[in-house]
Amino acid sequence: MAALLRALRVGRALRGLGSVVSTPAAQPPCSNLTRGFHRAALRLQDESKADKPPSSSPSSTPYHEHYRAHSAEQEAAGAPQEHSVSEPAAEEASRPNTSYQDQSGEQGEEYETEEQLQARILTAALEFIPLHGWTVEAIAAGAEMLGLSSASTGMFYNGAGDLVLHFVSQCNSQLTDILAEQHNQIQLGQAEPKKPAEFLRDAVETRLRMYIPYIETWPQAMSILLLPHNIPDSLKHLSTLVDDMWYYAGDRSTDMNWYTKRAALTGIYNTTELVMLQDSSSDFQDTWDFLDNRIQDVVNMATTAKQVQATGETVVQGLMGAAVTLKNLTGLNQRR
Amino acid sequence: MHRAAHTAVYSCSKIVGPAMIRQCLKCRVPQQLSSRAYSVVPTPRDSEEKEMLHRILRVDHAGEYGANRIYAGQMAVLGRSSLGPLIQEMWDQEKVHLAKFNELLAESRVRPTALLPFWNIAGFVLGASSALLGKEGAMACTVAVEESISEHYNSQIRALMEEDPDRYTELLQVIKEFRDDEIEHHDTGLEHDAESVPGYWILKNAIQLGCKAAIYASQRI
Repeated sequence: MAALLRALRVGRALRGLGSVVSTPAAQPPCSNLTRGFHRAALRLQDESKADKPPSSSPSSTPYHEHYRAHSAEQEAAGAPQEHSVSEPAAEEASRPNTSYQDQSGEQGEEYETEEQLQARILTAALEFIPLHGWTVEAIAAGAEMLGLSSASTGMFYNGAGDLVLHFVSQCNSQLTDILAEQHNQIQLGQAEPKKPAEFLRDAVETRLRMYIPYIETWPQAMSILLLPHNIPDSLKHLSTLVDDMWYYAGDRSTDMNWYTKRAALTGIYNTTELVMLQDSSSDFQDTWDFLDNRIQDVVNMATTAKQVQATGETVVQGLMGAAVTLKNLTGLNQRR
Repeated sequence: MHRAAHTAVYSCSKIVGPAMIRQCLKCRVPQQLSSRAYSVVPTPRDSEEKEMLHRILRVDHAGEYGANRIYAGQMAVLGRSSLGPLIQEMWDQEKVHLAKFNELLAESRVRPTALLPFWNIAGFVLGASSALLGKEGAMACTVAVEESISEHYNSQIRALMEEDPDRYTELLQVIKEFRDDEIEHHDTGLEHDAESVPGYWILKNAIQLGCKAAIYASQRI
């Protein structure tokens, strides 16, 4: 599975031909998309914030710190690009291939890479999903909104799949940011650490709430994710999501528990997502109740498993004691 | 540049973020998470390096786990013999190694190998069955396994040195230390008449073949 994921990553990097060269990219799709999302969000909302509060927030472990430092670096590098990018994007349409020249030199201030451009278009396209659904038409509408020709949908070999995967990846990044922020709050002593069950419950709820604006069309998106050529990518997103949630919940296990915990959370997440699709209660209260119950089930199972193990050990000790007693009684235990 | 940013970030023990550095120096760090200001394994720069580091950590963790179980098996059979204390001592050193790798795995968020339950049983069975061949059998098993492991650590050290010795200094130090321990175990095994077990050559090669297969599998699965 690790080899498969690696091959996919390589494939992805090859597909995004204009990938950033100068900045070491530990997670190219994620960071670039976050950056693209941020810049697009800024342009769309027409606010000019120099600081990006959520993504520059403190972090606490080596993994965290790299993620933060990397985002911080990119944001700092992204700031000078803001001005040039907000120029009429019609220029972009006339020179879509210039990003190829960028590969060998250092990152110019006025160029954005193809991946960043794609991210911007897809983020803009999200607005049109209620209207067009998860389709290439939505991407075309997004491109047109940015001032590009609708033929730029040709950049997206996977069509609607690209749109859905981009959205999923974006939601995952947002969730990671939120969880990292909470983690820092706890580190700073400004918040109480939550128990894992409660933490996971909140994390899953937060994550699923991101689907609420698109809940009408989400079944279509899910079916796109289940297409065979999209399954590796969607599984990868799901596994990183679940891994992140457990990591921030405090899991540091290095044995089979690593697998069982993630499998359990994947099951909970997927079933809750399905329940959410056909939930008509107000504010999806039925879904959250379902989630509560499922998490409680898993907690109960874990408790029962521990009890069974403890009982088993006691029983074995009892049996051993009985065996030794028997050996003593029958005089077999003479070896000295 | 990346490394400078990296080390600058680590100047504060836990919290990153320019505005918070002053504040953080006064804050206490909860003990259950890593409270060190540095990490043995550098954060990977790209997915290729990440893959390489994760493989190294995963297979090393599996190796120490297996070695633990082998010694446990040997102790189960020979625990009360004259060799008991010696095996116990070597086992304790392996436990230290395993604890270290557990720490590294958790810190770097590496997935442990899915074959752990298999190594659990296989290791114990190997240890116990080699001990049933007698004290020399147990020592022969130790020699074979430790030779495999130290060879494996050596090739990892070579690979890391080839890549970038400065970047991986701490990790190299850890692996070198462990490799020296394993070589010590190997020599101890030889001192205690490992070679006098009948079928030594076959036993040794069979075990080493098994170790190679285990290493190959644990890197990937």
